[in-house]
Amino acid sequence: MDNKDKLFGLIDLNWRFELTKFKQVGKLFKSRWFPLLPIIVNLFIFVIILLAGFIGGYSSGSYNFGIMIVWILWWVMLMFILVPGFSRSWCLMCPFPIFSDWFQRKRLFGVRQGKLEGLGLKWPKQLKNMWVMNIGFLVTTFFSGLFTVKPFATFVLLGGIILLAFLIGLIFEKRSFCLYVCPVSGFQGLYAQFATAEIRRMNPELCKNHKVKTCFVGNECGYGCPWMLTPFDFKKNTYCGMCLECFKTCPYDNMGFFLRPPGVDLLSDTPREPRRLDEAWKAFIMLGIAAVFFLTMQGPWGVLKDMVRQATFKGWLIFITLHSFFCLVGIPGIFFIFSCLSKLFSGNKEVSLRQIFINFAYTLVPIGLGVWIAFSVGIILPNGSYLIHVISDPFAWGWNLFGTAHFPWTPVFTGSLGYIQGFVLVIFYLFATALGFRLSKQTYLDLSQAKRGWIPILIFLTLVTILFLWLYLG
Amino acid sequence: MQKKELIAGLLVVLSTVGTVAGIYGIENYRRKKFYTVELIARAPENGNWYPQQLKIPYGMKEVKILIRNIETVTHGFAIPDLGVAVGQIKAGEVKVVRFIPDKRGTFPFMCTVWCSTRHMQMRGELIIE
Repeated sequence: MDNKDKLFGLIDLNWRFELTKFKQVGKLFKSRWFPLLPIIVNLFIFVIILLAGFIGGYSSGSYNFGIMIVWILWWVMLMFILVPGFSRSWCLMCPFPIFSDWFQRKRLFGVRQGKLEGLGLKWPKQLKNMWVMNIGFLVTTFFSGLFTVKPFATFVLLGGIILLAFLIGLIFEKRSFCLYVCPVSGFQGLYAQFATAEIRRMNPELCKNHKVKTCFVGNECGYGCPWMLTPFDFKKNTYCGMCLECFKTCPYDNMGFFLRPPGVDLLSDTPREPRRLDEAWKAFIMLGIAAVFFLTMQGPWGVLKDMVRQATFKGWLIFITLHSFFCLVGIPGIFFIFSCLSKLFSGNKEVSLRQIFINFAYTLVPIGLGVWIAFSVGIILPNGSYLIHVISDPFAWGWNLFGTAHFPWTPVFTGSLGYIQGFVLVIFYLFATALGFRLSKQTYLDLSQAKRGWIPILIFLTLVTILFLWLYLG
Repeated sequence: MQKKELIAGLLVVLSTVGTVAGIYGIENYRRKKFYTVELIARAPENGNWYPQQLKIPYGMKEVKILIRNIETVTHGFAIPDLGVAVGQIKAGEVKVVRFIPDKRGTFPFMCTVWCSTRHMQMRGELIIE
């Protein structure tokens, strides 16, 4: 990255602010209670969510703790704050893999030396990518009309994920589930590239001279990276689950937690962490799902809502067919045409079409994140007041824990909702264009080619943004 | 280290098994304090009230009916003979009705919000015996 490169002429892309330089933060990250305690707190919350989902059964979900906390609070926090702000910070405190970790390590707090329990098989090489997560997440959205409405469906989904995490932990090594299967993991990894925080090693020389690489193999203070990364040299947030084991195992305290400008990882393309087709498809799928979710959940088209909520089996089949085609073929297909145009406009003969297609697909990370944040605003503003009700009466048993059980449904700022969503979209569009032109310069190397090759992609991004603006502002 | 391991294990057990046991314990204690029945509100074409007949012993100190609307339309509830009524019960909402069963007999209860074309058939009966 150019040393003087500034986003919009203002934000230095090399700017970093180390939070771990504050003694208390550094000490916290070295403690074995962290992130164990937040995980246990979330385990407690998810037990209540599961119980509320089980008890709520087939009720409609607007007054159900499980539905409200998962799909209104957690989802919105994930897309709105956790991922864009703090990368995969949800993975740091996620309770789903706690039982497989406990089984493998036979410890919750301490560090087990030597081989972990379980079969410890290596994840199949052909599946060491995002494809399982891509398909898994897409298939999950087939049932979005149930998961987001029926408490028992949410119970089945979350219970299934926790069970699957445990079973995979019995068979495969370390956090194979988190890395290759978890449906929540893939999009977090993708959008974490835009996040304004990162974990990185500080002094490369220290790591170079440290022969043992304790961050990878572990020592008496902590485990070797459970996500099977090499913390001493990774450059992207995509697969770092922020478990903080590398902070504990580094004898030189050479790992740091930094604030940084957004989107820096999108410009990183190294032989060890190259831009990849599976990640590109993740970007297409997430953009497609966001569009479909808006049409079916926040749009005025009742016929679409009926299809998604499985009013008729035939309607639902039509929905999943069109939805899958749109996400897996439609958007990538249109993007491919614009990639061809980019190559044509640039006049470049050396760079492969595949590379152009993959590189520019990363421009959809800011756009996609913006679309999801806008969608999340559309969830929290009309429905957030339900949360005030359900925290007082989580099982709909007539409890009134905090005196708010009778708090009425109170939508806020819904009159301005479309404008807020539009504003978010425009902001992220600007980031996409600023980072996209840099991607073009990386792709084509020659500046005039980069400028010409950038035009079709800029048109594509503009059209996507206009489409979503039309959807949100009507 | 052993002590911390024990504390961590205890916290996990408390946050899982302890939470479930605690929640059911509290609710059982609450339900023992009042005679509680649960009534599920559904439009007639979707199964109607469940149960459609409620039996309550005469002379209880206080009866609590939890009316759970499991549908995506608004319902209502009233027992006119006992002067018991709640307003709207919105989709997914639970309303609690409390009254003292100091009259013997069979009393019809009904939905009071137009919920479907068969709304008028959304009726049941409460027997105080």
